[in-house]
Amino acid sequence: MTTAAQEFLRKAAEKSADLAHRGIVRWNIDQYDAGVGRGKTRFADWEAARQRCHDIKWEAVNHLDRYLLQFEQKVKENGGHVFWAENGEEARHYICDVAARTGVKKVVKSKSMVSEEIHLAQAMEKMGIEVVETDLGEFIVQLRNEPPYHIVTPAMHLNRQQVSKLFKEKLGAEETQDPPELVAIARRWLRKSFFSAEMGISGANFIIADAGMVTITTNEGNGRLCTSVPRIQVALTGIEKVIPRLQDLATLWPTLATAGTGQPITCYNTLIGGPRRAGEVDGPEEFHVVLVDNGRSELLADLEQREVLHCIRCGACINACPVFRNIGGHAYGVTYPGPIGSVLTPHLRGLPEYQHLSYASSLCGACTDVCPVHIELHHHLLHNRRNAIHAGTHSSAERLGMKMFRWTMMSAGRFRFMGSLGRTALRVIHGMRLEGTALDPMRPWTKDRAAPAMPRESFRDLWRKQNGVR
Amino acid sequence: MASADNPSRERILGRIRAAVQTTAPHHDGPSGQIFAPVTDPLDRFQKECVANITECMVTADAAASAAAIANVLASLPPGEIFAQDAPELRALVSGFTDGRPLRWSSEGPPNEASQATITLCEALVAQTGSILVSAANGGRQATVIAPVHIVFARLSQLVPDLEAAFARVYEQGIASRNSYVCLITGSSRTADIEKILIMGAHGPRRLIVVLQKTG
Repeated sequence: MTTAAQEFLRKAAEKSADLAHRGIVRWNIDQYDAGVGRGKTRFADWEAARQRCHDIKWEAVNHLDRYLLQFEQKVKENGGHVFWAENGEEARHYICDVAARTGVKKVVKSKSMVSEEIHLAQAMEKMGIEVVETDLGEFIVQLRNEPPYHIVTPAMHLNRQQVSKLFKEKLGAEETQDPPELVAIARRWLRKSFFSAEMGISGANFIIADAGMVTITTNEGNGRLCTSVPRIQVALTGIEKVIPRLQDLATLWPTLATAGTGQPITCYNTLIGGPRRAGEVDGPEEFHVVLVDNGRSELLADLEQREVLHCIRCGACINACPVFRNIGGHAYGVTYPGPIGSVLTPHLRGLPEYQHLSYASSLCGACTDVCPVHIELHHHLLHNRRNAIHAGTHSSAERLGMKMFRWTMMSAGRFRFMGSLGRTALRVIHGMRLEGTALDPMRPWTKDRAAPAMPRESFRDLWRKQNGVR
Repeated sequence: MASADNPSRERILGRIRAAVQTTAPHHDGPSGQIFAPVTDPLDRFQKECVANITECMVTADAAASAAAIANVLASLPPGEIFAQDAPELRALVSGFTDGRPLRWSSEGPPNEASQATITLCEALVAQTGSILVSAANGGRQATVIAPVHIVFARLSQLVPDLEAAFARVYEQGIASRNSYVCLITGSSRTADIEKILIMGAHGPRRLIVVLQKTG
């Protein structure tokens, strides 16, 4: 059986050699970078906005019990239900129970990364319920039977030809190279789903304590239809999404939009506070909020990394990451790709199996620079590396290697000796043309790269010779 | 939900309470003004509308508003129109109906095949060129379902920025009176295919604000 780490290395090697794939990612990220550059000019002070967002999330996360209870109280007052789920299984179980009780046969979903995290759709499909993703990008990857490629742009890796071919195969649509026509095909198809589904499931970008409302942000309007038409509504979210006050959104909405896509504000910022009330024209009969812990309260207990719970899932760190730009979203093999995913996944799925993601980074800090809530992402990658070492997850070969490295570095004489040994060995390998072959101990590096020939003398030797030191 | 049905609630809360006994370090930074103040709300609103592809028509009086709405309707294919049942729109209706069927929100939610919906709003936001609507504006579907959404608003509803909009939400109890509130900025769009911007993904392709200066 291959481990997650081996699978990651295999896919990363494959994807970074796929130039067409890299071209598509580069095109997308260039568009994004240009948009964000324009978007930031709309703020008088972008740094002040980041600080304000940090302040809001800090306040919420450090008083999480108080704000969650206030939220719960308000939702109940307004006729909604709140369920607290320890893990994915409990959340799936609760939602499947609601679906069974209310006779649900079809579900329309708007984007929810937590639903990906807990594999909700698969569980509902097992019960014989049809689950339809309604965000265009999510709809496309669902038809391809793939997980989302990116948390904001799920179908970033596909071009119009691939989408057209997919729609022809799966929906029986005419082939077209015209993106507006592709969108129209999806709109027509999904409209039928909105009006035949009994349940709408959404995520939540924020949940608001003082109003008892969840807010979802979409450009397409699918999130609005999911929360308006079906008779049962479920909002699925992590416990860390709570914010204290409604007016916090005056900063969070524009900042999330600009960091996420470069827009000044997203088209639709919807607030939902419960089922249809007496006197209202429409809306669901039942409204359920499922608060998922799934490792988050343990992350909360880790003072050093608590701020990872500030994340508003804008995707800025993913777009900025040179590793993501080369290997793309699927190579990570986890729900949340990129720097935030590399930090978060070991907490959600276990450090031993996912500590390799902490090394999928050059530690350049680009992620930390762009984070709109000031999460010190690259420091947390280092924390995870250290914690993994302390937990003893590294191999005995690595331990031995580090011991030898330490032994070498602790004395100038040993350093000189090992240096000359290394130079000689590499010269021999080079001379015998063994570079990059199975006999080359440097193979992981040299199989894809030409190493320069090793000089006979070290820098120290040259210095002493040129300066006449004996 | 009784806590007996949800034993995890106490376990999760217990872990949270234990964790937040200690407060995490806070990152300190600049606390300046985030957005430049909006000096001329009407001018800003119109500019933002152009940028986010909202058609904004400023009218002098009720007759001009009815004419503006009639103009939009004349450009649409035949079919039913839906309107929020409100005295202001009832008063305007004789000036804009062109003989096509008109369904009021008091008769239930709009038909999926409606050609356009006409609603009022809770507020307009100059900073972002946004329209704040609630369930009271003809229901949840009224402001998303049709290919064209026409909003009738008055100048007194225009607030300079998002902070002022939320102040109004609290003041008028908009979030507590309604199960649903939405801040709409431009018409529905997607850039999920090759980052190409396409209008009218799931919601309206055209968003039209008729902004009446008087009355």
